[in-house]
Amino acid sequence: MATWKMRETLGAACLGFSMALSAPAAFALADIIETPARKTDLAPQSLLNDADRAGERVVAVGERGHIIYSDDEGQTWKQASVPVAVTLTAVDFSTDRDGWAVGHSGVILHSSDAGASWELQLTGIQAAELAIESKETRIGEMEVQIEEAPEDQKEDLEWALDDLIFSVENMKADLKIGPVNPLLDVWFEDAEHGFAVGAYGMFLRTLDGGASWQDWAPNLDNPSGYHLNGIARITGDALVVVGEAGQIHSSVDGGETWELRDSPYTGSLFGVTGTGQVNEVLAFGLRGNVLRSTDIGRSWVTVANDNGATLNGSAVASDGRISLVGNGGVVLMSTDAGQTFSEHVRSDREGIMDAVPISGNRLLLLGEGGVKLTDARGRNPQ
Amino acid sequence: MSNPKHDKGEHYLTTPKAEPFLERLIFNNRVVILVAFLILTLFLGYNAVKIQPDASFERMIPLEHPYIINMLEHRDDLENLGNFVRIAVESREGDIFTQEYMETLKEITDEVFYLNGVDRSGLKSLWTSNVRWVEVTEQGFQGGTVIPDGYDGSRESLEALRQNVLRSNEVGRLISDNFRSTIVYAPLYEKNPETGEPLDYADFSRQLEEKIRDKYEGQNPNIDIHIVGFAKKVGDLIEGIGSIAYFAGITILLTTLLLFWYSRCIAGTLVPVFSSIIAVFWQLGALRLLGYGLDPYSVLVPFLVFAIGISHGVQVVNAMAMEASKGFDPITAARLAFRALYIPGMLALISDAFGFLTLLFIEIDVIKDLAVAAGLGVAIVIITNLVLHPLIMSYIGITAGGVRHVQNRGEKQDRKWRLLSNFAHPAVAPVSLLIAVIGLGAGLYFKQDLKVGDLDQGAPELRADSRYNKDNAYIIDNYSTSADVLVVMVKTPPEMCTQYNVLRAMDKLQWELQNTPGVQSSVSLADVSKIVTKALNEGNWKWFEISRNQTIINASIREAPAGLINTNCSLTPVLVFLEDHKAETLETAVSAVEAFAADNSSEEHTFLLAAGNAGVEAATNEVISSAKDMMLIFVYGVVSLLCFLTFRSIRAVICIVVPLGLTSVLCEAIMAVSGIGIKVATLPVIALGVGIGVDYGIYIYSKLEKYLLEGKTLQEAYFETLRSTGKAVIFTGVTLGLGVVTWIFSPIKFQADMGFLLFFMFLWNMVGAIWLLPALARFLLRPDRMLAKARASK
Repeated sequence: MATWKMRETLGAACLGFSMALSAPAAFALADIIETPARKTDLAPQSLLNDADRAGERVVAVGERGHIIYSDDEGQTWKQASVPVAVTLTAVDFSTDRDGWAVGHSGVILHSSDAGASWELQLTGIQAAELAIESKETRIGEMEVQIEEAPEDQKEDLEWALDDLIFSVENMKADLKIGPVNPLLDVWFEDAEHGFAVGAYGMFLRTLDGGASWQDWAPNLDNPSGYHLNGIARITGDALVVVGEAGQIHSSVDGGETWELRDSPYTGSLFGVTGTGQVNEVLAFGLRGNVLRSTDIGRSWVTVANDNGATLNGSAVASDGRISLVGNGGVVLMSTDAGQTFSEHVRSDREGIMDAVPISGNRLLLLGEGGVKLTDARGRNPQ
Repeated sequence: MSNPKHDKGEHYLTTPKAEPFLERLIFNNRVVILVAFLILTLFLGYNAVKIQPDASFERMIPLEHPYIINMLEHRDDLENLGNFVRIAVESREGDIFTQEYMETLKEITDEVFYLNGVDRSGLKSLWTSNVRWVEVTEQGFQGGTVIPDGYDGSRESLEALRQNVLRSNEVGRLISDNFRSTIVYAPLYEKNPETGEPLDYADFSRQLEEKIRDKYEGQNPNIDIHIVGFAKKVGDLIEGIGSIAYFAGITILLTTLLLFWYSRCIAGTLVPVFSSIIAVFWQLGALRLLGYGLDPYSVLVPFLVFAIGISHGVQVVNAMAMEASKGFDPITAARLAFRALYIPGMLALISDAFGFLTLLFIEIDVIKDLAVAAGLGVAIVIITNLVLHPLIMSYIGITAGGVRHVQNRGEKQDRKWRLLSNFAHPAVAPVSLLIAVIGLGAGLYFKQDLKVGDLDQGAPELRADSRYNKDNAYIIDNYSTSADVLVVMVKTPPEMCTQYNVLRAMDKLQWELQNTPGVQSSVSLADVSKIVTKALNEGNWKWFEISRNQTIINASIREAPAGLINTNCSLTPVLVFLEDHKAETLETAVSAVEAFAADNSSEEHTFLLAAGNAGVEAATNEVISSAKDMMLIFVYGVVSLLCFLTFRSIRAVICIVVPLGLTSVLCEAIMAVSGIGIKVATLPVIALGVGIGVDYGIYIYSKLEKYLLEGKTLQEAYFETLRSTGKAVIFTGVTLGLGVVTWIFSPIKFQADMGFLLFFMFLWNMVGAIWLLPALARFLLRPDRMLAKARASK
């Protein structure tokens, strides 16, 4: 059983942690990934990072392991039972019932009842072990490769090997502390196939609905281990991953192979979305930068945006309207597939992380201050 | 306390047969005693004048309570956390982005910078360089002071200022939500770091008024200034103590007029007033010699001393006028008055003193001080008004007008007393008792709502409409802040206060508390760490979490406010902001913390309650609620015992004590209805009210018993009682009431509450003695048996 194995490793990790402190506590606080999220009426007003639809239902995730869901377009919310109390960063439903949520401590949670209850599938400990394993395999391969390589290539390869060894050592050191790194986004194609991306280049794939996970990072050209912030499928079925340092990776074979695209921007990209048009992509991030491509990222144009606030999330409504939301209460709206945007700055100036289009041309905004029900422009209802 | 005279069936209280030893001692050495009194008065008067106001914070809190012990033990670690003033500079018209406003704000900031006591490095305003805006860029952070470089007051630079303000993250903290005002935040030194002198709150508060409020509101008519903070509050309190002098003047004037109306005799008016003022001087002088200052509570004791002195003086004047009307010369009249009064007078005063001393059971220094001051004062009244007063009168005598007044009013007066004596009538008494029972029932019903603690918004010490509380309300309305802070101290081994597990535990506690009713928000190092970790990750909210990586934690709290970590990192506070300081709110929050601490403490971290104003109030409330019943039991126990020892009759005790009990219940009902809680200020009222209120009963009952033993019927005996002492008792009630009623106008809220309640207690206890005592006597006393018993023992 995967869960059984997980408990074992988690126990070992906690032991290592307390030994590192050299003062084992009398009543040590249960680790946050063993602490169920507290039921609270405050969840809809607390930080929420992401939301998705499970059929008609809206499911949102946020700090302290909060997962809330609404069956009435955001009017009322119920809190799901969640086995962890970490900050959750993203959620994705691939069917009406099957969904995954990811977050800090590298947790992956799964729900098969449209978000009402969740079980822990993976923690950062196992994610790190997977990564270490695949890196060690790669080290073995490289050592062979160096022996066989021509003399003039040896030095470069040895440098790369050193980097790899160093990064494995780092990961092992981190593992002693515990599951230190967060996953930042998740996307599932169906009830079996999915990906999760995260800090320091974490990239995981499953083919069995999360029962087992593979370290998929070696398939991405990200030797510096930059954060991967977002993953999305665009119309036409291509997959796009964006991240730190302007990284844009795309895949046209369902995520088997990935190609690093040239990016016109070197700052962080926090999110990516299709526009509803075939092969069109919008990527967005730090300081209000918005990039647009019509050819799965082969070429890009920078979309004009006067507002310098960082953009965090996006929503595409059924009528093609695109909303981008960000820090400082910024809501951008496009009615021309993302070629131009008009801005509205909410007076509360709270950070907005994601938006969900709801009935009546309205939006649900999620962020720093929880859920807000607004009109299409992000304004509070009159 | 066996008394041979009593055993012989004679009442030792009311019929001292011969010239007692004390009387001879005093009246045979009049000059010596007067000279001794003069010297004593000069000495104590000198000390009285030099007594200093003292609003020491520590004396107002229960020092024995574990919360307070924790707080004081860690006082140095928490320094500066709570001691600051916030000066909100409001623009009356338009917003803050004008050249004039910014200019005034700059001048105010500079002025505050130079105020004595301000920790200049922590001073914050739009004009200080520590108020910055920060923005994440591809290269890292970019930022600057909120005042743009090269600010010149032009429209462009004001617009740049507006932009900087919006991205500064200070809206709601330094800048009001509506952009109509900004705050100058000044942390204060508890002790001057150079001279080591403690901060002079009165002086600091005065400087804020003169150098900031008056000066700049005068200079710029478009500016309103609001100032809040502990130092300002204490300053206002000390100033409030000063205004008590006016009340003293009014009280003396009113009492003098009343006394003259009563006696129609200049000597009979001025001598008791004079003796009572002497008593006040002695009391204040003695207090100073004992090392006390005048705090906002004990400053009220001189009023009580004065009023008690007057009420006993009235008895002397009354008795002397009666004797004089029989034709005795002043010295004989004075001796007879002394002889008749010194024992019941002393008994009444001793019972007052014992009533006050029950306050010593409450472990709060101001209340103990109040007990000492009041006990001392009453002891002094025995000397000044039972000895000095008759001595002086023995020289002056009651004027002819005074004597005539006593003789003239007999007839008219008697009709009144005849009417009132019906309270002892067999038909009236049951009605009275029924009314009393209904009153008791109503009182018990309404007093269910009686709350412990302070119930009003803002600083409870000051009035809701005081300048300070208006300023406080302004700041609460316009800024994201609460005035009621409970501080939980998280203790760790040295250098461990920022460990992951500690932050995690604090975060868990905070979330528990934020889910507790009455808790508004909370702040700790855990919040700082989460916010800065987010900021270090390019401001991305997905990183809003406590990192497990200690290096990241350390980086995240590098810039944490000093008050959140002590010098050796063994203590870090959790600040819990409450919606109000009602007792329930405090209790709920405190018990949530206690429950959490029981489950989540370890060698790495323990959770200690409590500091902050709410912590102190929670501790105070606990002490008050546990002391309340104890104090009531003792005060009633002492009073009942004294009455029993005096009258040797359980029935007598019931006749005297039941009206007091009714008054106590009604007093609590009034408190509940008018929203006054049981607190440091109002708890003593019950002891004072009962202690003094019993005097009426003692005077009335001792006379009533005397006339019953002379063989009169109950109603007749009561008529005689009223005739001889009723007027003095009513007058005493009114004088005592007048003595305290002026406090209602005090700028200090709890003094007003005390004044109101004591006024009620003094008056109503008097009513109880005149109205209810005879009704109870009708049911309880058996005059024939009393007579038979008295005869038998003869």
